[in-house]
Formats: sequence, C-alpha cells, structure tokens
Amino acid sequence: MVKITFREHDGSETIVDARPGLSLMKNAVAANVPGILAECGGNCACGTCRIYFDPEWRALMGTPRESEVEMLDYWHEEGDGARLSCQVLAVEAMEGMVLRLPESQS
Amino acid sequence: MSEADPGIDYDKTDVFTAYDIAAKPHPYFEYLRGKGPIVPLGYRNVVAVTGYDEGLAIFRDDINFSAINTVTGPYLPLDYDPHRPMDEQIEECRANNGYLSSVMSEDTAAHEKSKAILNGIITPARMKANEAYMYEVADQIIDEFIGKGRFNVVTDFGQPFAQLVIAELIGVPPEDRVAVRGMAADPGQMPGNLGGGFDMSANPLLRMGMQFYGYVLDRRANPRDDVLTRLCEQTYDDGTLPPPEAVVAVATFLFGAGQDTTVQLFAAMLRQLADNPGLEDRLRAEPALIPDFVDEVLRIEGVTKSTFRYVRNRTTVGDFTFEPGQHVMLHISAMNRDPAKFENPAAFDVGRKNVRQHVSFGRGLHACAGGPLARAEGRVAIERLLARARNFRIDEGRHGPQGARQFDFLPNYSLYGVLEQQMTFERI
Repeated sequence: MVKITFREHDGSETIVDARPGLSLMKNAVAANVPGILAECGGNCACGTCRIYFDPEWRALMGTPRESEVEMLDYWHEEGDGARLSCQVLAVEAMEGMVLRLPESQS
Repeated sequence: MSEADPGIDYDKTDVFTAYDIAAKPHPYFEYLRGKGPIVPLGYRNVVAVTGYDEGLAIFRDDINFSAINTVTGPYLPLDYDPHRPMDEQIEECRANNGYLSSVMSEDTAAHEKSKAILNGIITPARMKANEAYMYEVADQIIDEFIGKGRFNVVTDFGQPFAQLVIAELIGVPPEDRVAVRGMAADPGQMPGNLGGGFDMSANPLLRMGMQFYGYVLDRRANPRDDVLTRLCEQTYDDGTLPPPEAVVAVATFLFGAGQDTTVQLFAAMLRQLADNPGLEDRLRAEPALIPDFVDEVLRIEGVTKSTFRYVRNRTTVGDFTFEPGQHVMLHISAMNRDPAKFENPAAFDVGRKNVRQHVSFGRGLHACAGGPLARAEGRVAIERLLARARNFRIDEGRHGPQGARQFDFLPNYSLYGVLEQQMTFERI
C-alpha cells in the first residue's frame, strides 16, 4: 500500500492507502474521496475524476492517450499537470504524493 | 390531501402499477426512507433503496449486482433456481430475450465491447462540434413558435431539439434529419411502463434501426469523410471491427436514450423557472450560474427516478444482506434527496455547494454515457430561451395555478415526466 493524499478544492484532505496496480480513481472511490466523482466508472468518458499534480511527480504520471487528451481539452485543462485518475495506475513510488482536485468536482 | 400526504395507503399499494405514485413519487420515497435506507417491499421480490451511500455502493459493485434487470425491473423473465449456478441462469435469460442485450443490461465483457462503440460516438471533439449545432438548431426551433407567445415544451421544443441534436451527433446526414423529427415513442409503451408490459416492436426506434443498418453497410462499402463513416469504422479495443448489428444496436440505443429523458429535463427546468420568481432574471444576469441550475434541476426533479440491479451473490450493504435473485430498486430521485447527503434536500437552491454529487446519471460502469451531452443541451436550451423570451409561465388555464397544478404524467415506475406542458411567454 502507498499513501496518497487527495486535496479537495476547499483544502480538506483524504489520505488514501492506495493499492498499487489499481487506478488512482478506483483507489480514491474505494476510500470515498468526495472530489473524485468518476461518473462514468473509468471509461475515460466523463472527465469527472481529474487530478492535478506537481512537477516533481511528472515522471510517474505517464502520458495520456489521445482520448484522454481530448477529454482534458474538453474541460479546458491546459499544461501538463492534469490527468484523469481513471487512466493512471498507482505505483509504489507514489508514496507521499499529494493530488489536488478541481472546484467543479467539489 | 396535501403535498406531503396524498392520501395513499402505501402499505397496500403496488408501486409497479399505481399511477398515483408515478405521478407523485416523493411522498412515497419519504415513506420508504422513514423505514430505513434499504427496505424489502414484500412483493415481487423487490428491495427498495433510498439511501445515498447505500445506493452508491450498489452502483459501484458490478460483481455482486447484475444490470440484467435495468430495463425490466421485476418483470424480468427469470425464475431464479438456487440449485443452479446464477451466471448460467442470467446468460440463459439474456440469450432468450433479445431486448435484454442492450448496453444498459449487459454485464462485464459484452458491456465493455458496446461501450467501446459508444465511446467512439461521444468523443469530446464530437461534443464540441455538436454544441455549436445546438445553438443553431435551438434558435431555428424557437423561431417556429416565438410569434405565438405560447408553446408546449414537450412537442414544440423538447422533442425536435433532442431529436435533431442526437441525429447530428451520430452523423445522420442533413437530408435525412427531417424524417427523424416527430419520431416519438408512445408514452404508454416505454420501458418502466406501469404493469410491466411494453411492446418494443411498436417503438419507432425499430425504424431508426433499419435506417442505421443501411448507413453501416453503405459507409463500410463506400467510406466518406463523415461522422457516420468514422462510427462504422470504430473498432473494439482489440482492433477487430464490430458486426454491423452491434453498431446499429448501440447507435439506435443512443438515439432512443437521448429522447424522452432530455425532453423531460427541459420541461422540469421550465417548471422551476416558472415557479421561482426572480430566477429567470438572475440567470440572465449571471449566465455562469446556468450549469449549476441545470444540475440542481437534475437533482431535485431527475427524470430517471428509479433503476434496477439484480442480486447475483449474497452480499451486505450497510446493515442489509441481499440474497441472490432479489431485484434492487434504486430510487435515484430519493438518493438525490437524502438529508444525510444534501442539506434541506427538498428545497431548490441554485447555489447548492455539492449539487454535482447527485446521481441522476447513475454511477459506476453503467453511468449514463450521455450525461455530458444532456448537460450541454440543458444549458444551451436555457441560454437561448432566456435570450429570446421572458416571463415563462405555466398556462394556468390548462394546468391550474401554482400549488394545484394538473399534469398528465408518464404512466411509468422508472421515468418521471409530463405528457404535455403548455407555457406562455413574452417575446424579447
């Protein structure tokens, strides 16, 4: 298990004991993180499990596929500090990572 | 009789046949909630869920809960035999009943395949192009009745708008869109119909399906640079091309799913505007509030009031243990008014902080693929209606005064909505 913090738009936090190999979204939903709505259940089809990460975690966050890029673009996410958490798997090296959540998911 | 107590003995009333509950579901939901968040009804092997957290847990558990009864509810043609494997019985039931093979009722692998086709249709890029079309077509439809000072929201605005928007999204060529208008299902022949009977062969979607079959064969033989060609060439995740029937099934399903539901969203939004003085002006002054307005209407008066899951394995949610073969009736509209989740839940509040936590589009694997589309349609419809007219009022001559309105409601235990909604307005 790795400890990952999900920080809501209002600053409140949920520290999740995440299972490596499972998506960040599924880990967050299992821990009832309020700001991960994940309306479509992980189909890369709704954009309501967006997360923001700091540059130091860039290497662990991988590169989004075209469908995810389109979805992030649809939500006007600019720059490379955003991902859909349903498309990123938790890995051991994420221990201590803090992810921020958008206001529209609050 | 009052709003809170319509004078029905719920203990002796069957929710699957009672029009009075279909027409006024909230007092019934509050009666159920008074008994607990998960309550066995004592008939048809149905367990009702009104609790937000409990319902969410069920939506997210597609291992212990099958979606096979989503469309039929307890009228599923399956008599569970505890001595035989559950999965075998579910698959047998599906194989013998063609109408249970839509993307809504499928489980696991088959569902994933249909979803791949659906995701190829509703892409963010298509959504963006479709939104531009929404503005154009909304104004064209408003032009048809703006001079009259009155309209029936259901047939004069809602149906043509929803039909043309979804036809454009799927890529129905402009010359064929005229045929799409007016293709409305008989309100007494929809899934969730009181008494359980509905005849899909009478559904106009069948005609749409035939037309799509023609499109798929044509575009595969003669590819063009259009949306239909891309839809027909969309492959499964493993790179294989779906059979034409699979594409037709998903496209037709999408076409049907995006009709009555969206129409009723428009009607509900306009009822809220009419019954909340000052709201119109507020939205005109602060258009950035319109998306929250759409979501608050979805929360307080969502169209899909109930959906279903079938218990596959014994499993516990909260304090309740479900047994295999039970039908779970998830009361979405009750979950959306759970006081443990939403403060002062029966009050309409555009400024509600957690409004997007409503479950009107479901959650989990089967969450509504058209959610973003419906939200965009709702927003564009309100933006254009408010730009073109003011003072939207329910026609009291037809529907009675506020507090004592008379509507004909859908005779349906899954969907909530009106058959007709006459309104007046002043042209700007």
